[in-house]
Amino acid sequence: MTRLAPLIKPLGAVIAIVGFVLWAHLGSGIARFHSQVKSAPGWDRFRDVYGLDSFGEDSYFVRAAQNGYNLFYFTHRYGWRFTRKTERDAVNSCAACHTPEDMAYAFVNSDRFDPGLGRRLSFEESVMRCYARHMDGFVPTLYDPAVRDLRILARSVAHHLQLGEGARRAGGELIP
Amino acid sequence: MTAFLPKLLRLAVIASVLGGLYLVALHKHAERDETRQAAVALTPGCKAKLESYALHAGSDYRSPYVLRTTGVSKQARGYTEEDVRAIQRGCNLVDDTQGQLARDAARERWNAGRFMRGRHASCDHCHQNIGDKQDAAGQRLVGSNGLAASWVMADMYDRFTGLLLPYELRQMQCYINSSNGFKPNAADDLLRDVTAYSRFLTAALDLKIGNHYAEQGTDEIPASATLRRGDDYVRGAHLYKQKCARCHGPQGFGTEVNGKVIYPALAGPNSFTLDSRMNFGRVNSVIPGFICRNMPLGEEGSLDNQSCRDIGFYISTLPRPAGDKQGPLVAAWQRLMMAVMPPLTQYAETLGGGNHHVHQPPED
Repeated sequence: MTRLAPLIKPLGAVIAIVGFVLWAHLGSGIARFHSQVKSAPGWDRFRDVYGLDSFGEDSYFVRAAQNGYNLFYFTHRYGWRFTRKTERDAVNSCAACHTPEDMAYAFVNSDRFDPGLGRRLSFEESVMRCYARHMDGFVPTLYDPAVRDLRILARSVAHHLQLGEGARRAGGELIP
Repeated sequence: MTAFLPKLLRLAVIASVLGGLYLVALHKHAERDETRQAAVALTPGCKAKLESYALHAGSDYRSPYVLRTTGVSKQARGYTEEDVRAIQRGCNLVDDTQGQLARDAARERWNAGRFMRGRHASCDHCHQNIGDKQDAAGQRLVGSNGLAASWVMADMYDRFTGLLLPYELRQMQCYINSSNGFKPNAADDLLRDVTAYSRFLTAALDLKIGNHYAEQGTDEIPASATLRRGDDYVRGAHLYKQKCARCHGPQGFGTEVNGKVIYPALAGPNSFTLDSRMNFGRVNSVIPGFICRNMPLGEEGSLDNQSCRDIGFYISTLPRPAGDKQGPLVAAWQRLMMAVMPPLTQYAETLGGGNHHVHQPPED
């Protein structure tokens, strides 16, 4: 028994790590540990309405668009790292101010000069600014899925609407 | 007090260095802003291209190309002066990435040379006609690496990297692999201006987001598109000397005249790397597709599929820089080969009479 004593600590550490990994992947339910995106309410209807299956039923692109959908409608839940808004706030998601079509039109009109800022503004920067300002939160990096997947959602809707660069919305304004 | 003075001195030095760095950063930012505001001197190719697409500042944009090809005048959102300058700079970058045609290459091309080890690489070599290749009738050519078609299909799954590849990341890969260099920052003007130009092309050609167009990427030629005689290095070497060597040089080092690149290198330190998709050894269907559709200049489409694969195979055996994935040993070996092989090959060719490579096979 005394010979095994030095092994107890390292063995305990290994068991703890393996236990954590197993829990994270199998029991935690935390989305980032799974290749599947959690299906939020309304997703199936959304994918029908916007023809997401034209990109393949379960493609990488569709999964990213699905994550974008989750972020768009349930920002406080799926983008919690970048917002202080909670379930109790009336405005706690992108969908509180925008529609998916808004995002698509904003996407095809992005990368243009913004007179207010005095410089050209990309779609990604607009999303980052939204997190920081309207969502009372923090700025994700350019490549964070919290930004990328919203762009991909906007792309997929723009594809469904068959928008081209600089497309104008009849009677509508761009995202402020 | 005496113990306090050295500490104070150290603090003052640190503060001065940090303050100096901050001032340098401010100066660099101001310089960039100045470049963004400056009028753009277009390359001759860009002048013709952007004039033909009627790029101008205004509240609306109507593409003459769309009017000519469809008979319908479509209205899109116009561009501000700043947007126009970004598009112009992007066009210049694609046409003349290293600024050979610029008066001040570093300033007018956002120091693109910082991100390239070789002197030859320019986007236009692969994305011909400034990323928008058309025939005389204005038809966009199949598999011509069109930048507009590439932009509308950005963010899709990329089989080479296993990523949903954004347009900026794809440009970074070009800098690393095709230009044997380093990746710029995703928000660098260098990338953003090329994106602005590509997006303008989609407006000019009226392409829709997420649609596949035939000019996107290369029209690849897999082995299954041949009679499966097998890709042959010897046949490739022979064809290379017949069809390619007059422009790219007998050893594939390209042609320079008065320090200006006329035809780019396919081998040696100015060439693309082993990691490039153009390297037959990495992806064996891309370069044959590129050759068949775009080479030799003026005789495009004259080579059959097997010949293109043979030439691609031969080119891949020429010494070239290692890619990022190969590691230092392969990099050192490739460097050695790039230094040793050219004189050896040259010597070997002189032993055979020096001109056997231009020997024409008997006509059928």
